[in-house]
Amino acid sequence: MIDFLGAVGDVLTSEAAYINALTFAVFLAFGATGEWVAERSGTLNISLEGMFLAGAFSAAMGMHQTGNEGVAVLCAIVGGVSVAAVQANMSHRLVANQFVVGLTLNILVLGLTSFLASELDPVTRQAGTQRIPLLADIPLVGAALFDRTWIFYLIYAVVPICWWIVFRTRWGLELRATGENPQSADVSGIDVNKRRREGIYVTGVTAGIGGAYLVLGAVGQFEDSIVGGRGFIALIAVIFGGWTLRGTIAGCLLFGAVLSFRLSLPALGYELNGDLLTSLPFVVTIVAMSIFASRVRPPASLAQPFIRGLK
Amino acid sequence: MADLPTSGVHAGAGPSGPAPAGAAVRLDQICKRYGSVQACDNVDLVLQPGRVHGLLGENGAGKSTLMKILIGLVIPDSGAVTINGDRVRLRDPLDAAEHGIGMVHQHFSLVEPLRVWENVALGEDGKLHPSDVRDRIVEISDRYGLDVDPDAVVGELPVGMRQRVEIIKCLRRDPSIIIFDEPTSVLTPAESEQLFETLHQVVVDEGRAVALVSHKLDEILKATDEVTIMRQGRVVDHVLTDSVDASGLAAAMVGRAVSLRSERVALGVVDTDLDGAEVPQTEHESTPEVLRLDQVTLLNRDGRTVLDQLDLTVRAGEIVGVAGVEGNGQRPLADILSSLTDIDEGEIRVAGTKVPTGKAGAMARAGVGVIPEDRHDSGVVLDMSIAENLWLVDTKPVSRGGVLDHRTMNRAAATLIDEFEISCSGPDAPLFSLSGGNQQRVVLARELSNDPKVLVAAQPTRGLDVGAIEYMTDRLRRAAEDGVGVLLISSELEEILDLAHRIIVISDGRIIGEMDRNDADLERIGLMMGGQTV
Amino acid sequence: MTVEPGHATAQPGSGHHPDHHHGVDADDFKRELGTDGTLTEEPYHPNPSTPTADRLQAIGEVVFLYTVCIAAALGLSALLVEATGGSSAEVFNALLDGSIRGPGRIGATIGVAVPLLLVAIGTIVSNRAGLVNIGQEGQLYIGAAFGAYFGTKLGWSGPWVILLLLVASVVGGALWAGIAGALRYTRNVPEVLTTLLLVTVAAQLVGYGLKNQWLLLAPAEGRANRQQISQQLPENTRIPRIEMFGNEFPISAFIAIALAFLIAAAMARTVWGLRLRMLGHNPRTAQRAGVAASRYGGGALLVSGAFAGLAGGMMLAGGDFGNYTLVPGFPAEIGWTGLLVALVSRQRASVAIVIAFVFAALRTGSGFLAATGVERRITDVVQGLLVLALLIPPALLYLRQRRRQMNSGGDRT
Repeated sequence: MIDFLGAVGDVLTSEAAYINALTFAVFLAFGATGEWVAERSGTLNISLEGMFLAGAFSAAMGMHQTGNEGVAVLCAIVGGVSVAAVQANMSHRLVANQFVVGLTLNILVLGLTSFLASELDPVTRQAGTQRIPLLADIPLVGAALFDRTWIFYLIYAVVPICWWIVFRTRWGLELRATGENPQSADVSGIDVNKRRREGIYVTGVTAGIGGAYLVLGAVGQFEDSIVGGRGFIALIAVIFGGWTLRGTIAGCLLFGAVLSFRLSLPALGYELNGDLLTSLPFVVTIVAMSIFASRVRPPASLAQPFIRGLK
Repeated sequence: MADLPTSGVHAGAGPSGPAPAGAAVRLDQICKRYGSVQACDNVDLVLQPGRVHGLLGENGAGKSTLMKILIGLVIPDSGAVTINGDRVRLRDPLDAAEHGIGMVHQHFSLVEPLRVWENVALGEDGKLHPSDVRDRIVEISDRYGLDVDPDAVVGELPVGMRQRVEIIKCLRRDPSIIIFDEPTSVLTPAESEQLFETLHQVVVDEGRAVALVSHKLDEILKATDEVTIMRQGRVVDHVLTDSVDASGLAAAMVGRAVSLRSERVALGVVDTDLDGAEVPQTEHESTPEVLRLDQVTLLNRDGRTVLDQLDLTVRAGEIVGVAGVEGNGQRPLADILSSLTDIDEGEIRVAGTKVPTGKAGAMARAGVGVIPEDRHDSGVVLDMSIAENLWLVDTKPVSRGGVLDHRTMNRAAATLIDEFEISCSGPDAPLFSLSGGNQQRVVLARELSNDPKVLVAAQPTRGLDVGAIEYMTDRLRRAAEDGVGVLLISSELEEILDLAHRIIVISDGRIIGEMDRNDADLERIGLMMGGQTV
Repeated sequence: MTVEPGHATAQPGSGHHPDHHHGVDADDFKRELGTDGTLTEEPYHPNPSTPTADRLQAIGEVVFLYTVCIAAALGLSALLVEATGGSSAEVFNALLDGSIRGPGRIGATIGVAVPLLLVAIGTIVSNRAGLVNIGQEGQLYIGAAFGAYFGTKLGWSGPWVILLLLVASVVGGALWAGIAGALRYTRNVPEVLTTLLLVTVAAQLVGYGLKNQWLLLAPAEGRANRQQISQQLPENTRIPRIEMFGNEFPISAFIAIALAFLIAAAMARTVWGLRLRMLGHNPRTAQRAGVAASRYGGGALLVSGAFAGLAGGMMLAGGDFGNYTLVPGFPAEIGWTGLLVALVSRQRASVAIVIAFVFAALRTGSGFLAATGVERRITDVVQGLLVLALLIPPALLYLRQRRRQMNSGGDRT
């Protein structure tokens, strides 16, 4: 136990640990922010994992073909949005069960990307960093926050923009109304399923960027297991955050820290059981949900399909 | 129309005639069919500016469909919609709003967790300007005396207040045509008066055209200038309100002369003389108490009191009416007696034995039968067969050792189907294939065949046509005669006056008054429903 | 005083054109110009409207929809293969060889179909109760781990030991689903989330067990330097295998099929099944009628977990997976695929038997793809596209049915 506390102390004072934590957290936050938008409209979008993966693969392909980071990110957005298009139209046009569609998409995208990756074998590289003077010199967290690739910095735009469109625009008002009471939204003249589809498209965009960041900013190359279930962690960050954007980001930071903790320990010379630590975000979320589930109110129509005239 | 019929008979000035000068809305030959049901059959309707046009008909007569067509929620199969002389197509509510049509919805179009101004802003186009919306709300509030705080969360407002929000939401767009859909069902008599004042203002002072959809004759007679009466998807009559009386309207609406008292009650004709009918007998002091609520208190999730120290008894053979405006605790009361909600304080006894609350099936086992307000919510399983629905509560008669005996089940079901005259293709037919009235009979058959000690009937005749209402009220009376204690929860005062031996008035979750049927008078109950102790 | 203006005449061309067609409802109608120059509306029936004709037409429609969707899924897959330089015909042949045509391959496919079917049956039970259990992968893994611990560490012997091993697996799976059930009914945590989260936790937990000799790791001498592997199950804890027509498979296949029919019968014919369906269709009606959600819903989750656990135990003791040993990644997505089997077979256990075999065939067939030079993950793509394709027809039919129902007398609203 003392050993464990010592490890925590060492990690907390290690600059590398902060860099790792922020890498994970920002990757998660890209997906979670979009997921939060979709969930506010009433979709529990579990194809986030697939969107991440499609984004990552498309970014790698874009990079492989053009060598241009900007093009790669655009490709990633297209990849994420393609998965979103299937999810959105299957679950909010045909009104097929959104979980089934999501699960299937995750498996499909995993198969598709690993199939294509082995056939096409995209070669890519890590994106260069842009150091922001002064800010990057802040001890411990400076480098983690301000000595990054430009894709990392996109998070500083994505989160506020998502907040703004949800809370300050008519579209966002309609989106929230849709998530809380689709019947009322419908009679008010809002196309409920369209808003929900659009919410999923937002997830596709941000998760696509997240996938690009994962490939170009974190790993440096595409691997089949590059996302490896972390889409689900981003998903549960939204739930952990009680469907508020602030809580969602807090969840991403916490889970990012936990994920990096596991990586940082061996580097610092500690031997700790990685398996149990890997499951920590999941266990934390389960415990958090057990404590808060009866207090936090999800969007009232979350995960419920909408067909006009049906309650 | 220029030559509005004065005799009450209207036909020739037909739909193909020239559009009257200044008609706000003209519906020509509207048809809409759902599967085998012709919801609207060549319907014509003309709304004039500065006039209130009543649309009267039983449930299922097609008035809702017609109004949904006008608001763009339903697209007609054929027919023409003309607004201010222009032929238009209304694809969705936004379309309708652009043509100046607004609707005050019966069940509201509000989103509870959002604020008043956000709700009012819903369903518009263009950039969102919160302060403009707030200003406009204040302006409308002042003009029509509809006082409401723009920043209040709708879910925390009482029902009457929510309707104000709904009306403001509609008026905010300055519609030239307003549809009111059964607007008084959630209002106290006093609030209804106020509503009709607002109505008068928007019509007479501002020259808007109003359609008032209702199934209540009184309301139509009081508030409209002309009436269109619908039956089975067709317009059967169009008259000036001045030229008709209640019984004439009732006959047109039902399609035959209305003489039975219960029918008139069903139509909302309050007859204080009761037409010489027998006053329900009230000698129940000697029969045993079958249901007793002691200090029952219920809080909602936010800790607000929903039911406040309710004391209530029902004796065997007695019909106790719970009167009150909708949304004042009737639903939670029925839910508690259906074991759907646990209570926070107090206790409930059935035939002297304490029954645990909120425990699955406890009330049903103790002998509390329930005809729920919304049968789809807690009365039936639509996707299961009629036979299965008849034995949801007690499977013992049709099973052995946990295995269902389908032969016995279907045979017994057939007996009940006969007895309760349920029209269906057989015991195996899925419940959703039945009409609303027949679904209600399945519920009734099940609850009565379980030999209940108490029968809770929550809004038992809502949504039924006149014949079905008659059947239902007759069954309730017979159940009481057989010694069942009946708790009749209804927001239709006429129904309560007609059936109950004893009347309890509920307001804001509290019992505000109790009286014998003989001492009941309409005005007094009306005041109580508004929360005043008399 | 009543006059019917409904039949008023209208001049043709006065603007009474059919305005809109609203989905399928409008198909029942055809506008006709009456002989007297008036427009009349008549119900339009393209066929003599006998019930059998309607029914035949409906069946035809369903078959047509499914055919189109499945063809589209397969066509897309073929296109993908061709686009990446492979030959779709070769792939198709290899898949057939690997799953049914090759000698003994049907046996192998049956071996894979068994756990798929078991997972699917369990899923059907929880689905019927209205619960969304998507954590079968984890429940299966825990079940397998319990079985492995029982078989390799306890060293019991006797004729019943194989049954006891399977019981241990059942308990493990049920326990894992039970956590989600307990949280659902005591703390109101949605089971769809907990079951999902517990998949990863299960994988990590078993991974931890496989690193520690006091749990699952085989003794050092038996594992030739492999880091995470259990001991092989002793002979007496293996499910007997039989051979039929040159195909060898474990006898658990018969058990799985028997269980499928048993569950189907229980759903339709027992009070328990009735109450479970009630809970699934309308929880409030069920609560009023005495079906306690915690008891029946929790029970359904336990049953569902138990089946996943049993699948894990049978995978381990059946011999078709991992050669009687437990290794990381042992579930091999059987849990996920089994879940899809259940969803595609639309809650019918008998249909699940067929679907399980088809999905198993894709998997065993993929083993023969290496010779074609096409990456075996193509079968995941085929499977995913197939599932999506199979979701479309019922969704379309459901939408249409709902539209009709909701509008019949306005009674659905």
